[in-house]
Amino acid sequence: MEEPLASRRVLTPALLLAPMILLLVLFLIVPTFGLLRASFLSESHLLDGSGFSLKQYIRFFSDSYYSSVLFETFVDGIIVSLICLGIGFPTGYSLARLSPPARRWRIIIVIMPLTLSLVVIVFGWLIILGRNGVINALLLSSGIASSPKQLLFSRPAVITVLVQQFLPFMILSVMSVVTQIDPVLEHAAANLRANRFATFRKVVIPLALPGIFAGFNLVFVLSISAFITPRLIGGNRVAMLGSLIYERIMAELNWPSGAAMAFILLVSGLGVTATLNALAASRLVRKGGRYAR
Amino acid sequence: MRVDLIDRAMAASGAAVRAIVYAMLALPALLVIVCSFTSGDSLNFPPTGFSMRWYREVWQNELFMTALWTSTYIAVLVSTMALAIGFAAAFAINRFAFLGKGFLQALAFSPLIIPAVVLGIGLLQLFAKLNLTQTIYPLLLGHLVLAIPYVMRTILASLSLHDRVLEEAAMNLRASPLKVIRRITLPLILPGLLSAAIFAFVTSFGNVTVSAFLTYGGHVTLPVQIFTYVDTSYDPLVAAVSSLMIVITLVIILVIERLIGAERVV
Repeated sequence: MEEPLASRRVLTPALLLAPMILLLVLFLIVPTFGLLRASFLSESHLLDGSGFSLKQYIRFFSDSYYSSVLFETFVDGIIVSLICLGIGFPTGYSLARLSPPARRWRIIIVIMPLTLSLVVIVFGWLIILGRNGVINALLLSSGIASSPKQLLFSRPAVITVLVQQFLPFMILSVMSVVTQIDPVLEHAAANLRANRFATFRKVVIPLALPGIFAGFNLVFVLSISAFITPRLIGGNRVAMLGSLIYERIMAELNWPSGAAMAFILLVSGLGVTATLNALAASRLVRKGGRYAR
Repeated sequence: MRVDLIDRAMAASGAAVRAIVYAMLALPALLVIVCSFTSGDSLNFPPTGFSMRWYREVWQNELFMTALWTSTYIAVLVSTMALAIGFAAAFAINRFAFLGKGFLQALAFSPLIIPAVVLGIGLLQLFAKLNLTQTIYPLLLGHLVLAIPYVMRTILASLSLHDRVLEEAAMNLRASPLKVIRRITLPLILPGLLSAAIFAFVTSFGNVTVSAFLTYGGHVTLPVQIFTYVDTSYDPLVAAVSSLMIVITLVIILVIERLIGAERVV
């Protein structure tokens, strides 16, 4: 009886896991590496080229236009993540401390933008920011403006819409860590005559740090790879790397160039994420060491 | 608790921020619905008149109706397949001890951190080489990959939350492992399984960032149809289609909420 049981212990989980592993290897990892390969082709417009060259990468980094778009995309990503953190933290924190019945509708409002298709949300913003949109109607009727203002096709508009799209991720990751922080700790700090701000800084924020970093990472990666929002809200005036890639591939059919840009996006995004995680880890270790002593 | 100026300022600013956040999150969807009932020819705010005119137009619009059908069809396939694949994998991760479990979990959640453009272009290239771009496979498999993290998270959570005592009791009564799964485990985690399937459905149904690169037999999904339409024109027709999507999504969220409670939706 020993032998078949042992082999079953290996075989059963392997069989159960096989479909998922196969799916992710074949349709996530293989396409990603296929794209990496395509980015090292020199000729454009060729799907089945051969050879190896760094031409696409050299062209990207030697052209100041591309570097400026890459830089702008990163700056936008950081701005979006910081705003999401600033307004998402208080919201996530309060959600975690609410009673379940009071939480119900608020959670539904938070989840709605996540489940709803992105285009529908962006379209909603076109109605808000458009020439005959909500904000212009309010400005005109209140007499603040005498003619409709051009609100779309600007960087602040793109950032606003990105913030609204990705804010739920921040709220939810903050909420999930804060629910695990025992309120007793905060009461203890308050009993020791710490005011709310001190309690926040010394107790809540350090304990919520993993959630803050997780949310920040997610929002940042999603923002820098956005292309629907920059295209519809930003138009031709706001270039972000994602919309540049979309155009390269879908309009110009320039595969190697689009692939190289997609890879620069992937690697630099993962780079920032890894740096942030390392930072978070070292900070936590340092803190832990200090309290241990 | 000491109450001082900083406390008051924090409480007040917190309340203000929260009010703005909830308004900001809900407004776009609400306004789309309000504007979809306009009787005018253009999208204005406030809308002119009230009519169901644009809903009739959607119903008669072949492009949007075909896209709606394509989206639904793919989403149903994706949710059944994702449920089967996800349950098998989650069960193995939850119930068996083996090497590399952490790595596998990371793999299952990796579709969340790969930029959609990378996945979309990668799949387009892969299927172009296989000469299968006109088939359902690119969209189906792409959406399946995207649905895996959500399905895994939901099923893993419900597997680890439910009480194992009932299973042990059944095994003590000499029920076979398969019978225990069928009669005890599956019924107990049914709400989790249903919401996993629904999550997979909405992930597929709403996706645009990966789908934008993929078509199916010359057809596109509804979100991509909306994207290409809005890219060139701007009229109440899209407001009506979008309202349909909002209502479908809201109903789905409410169903999940009923099934597993708002607490665990996240």
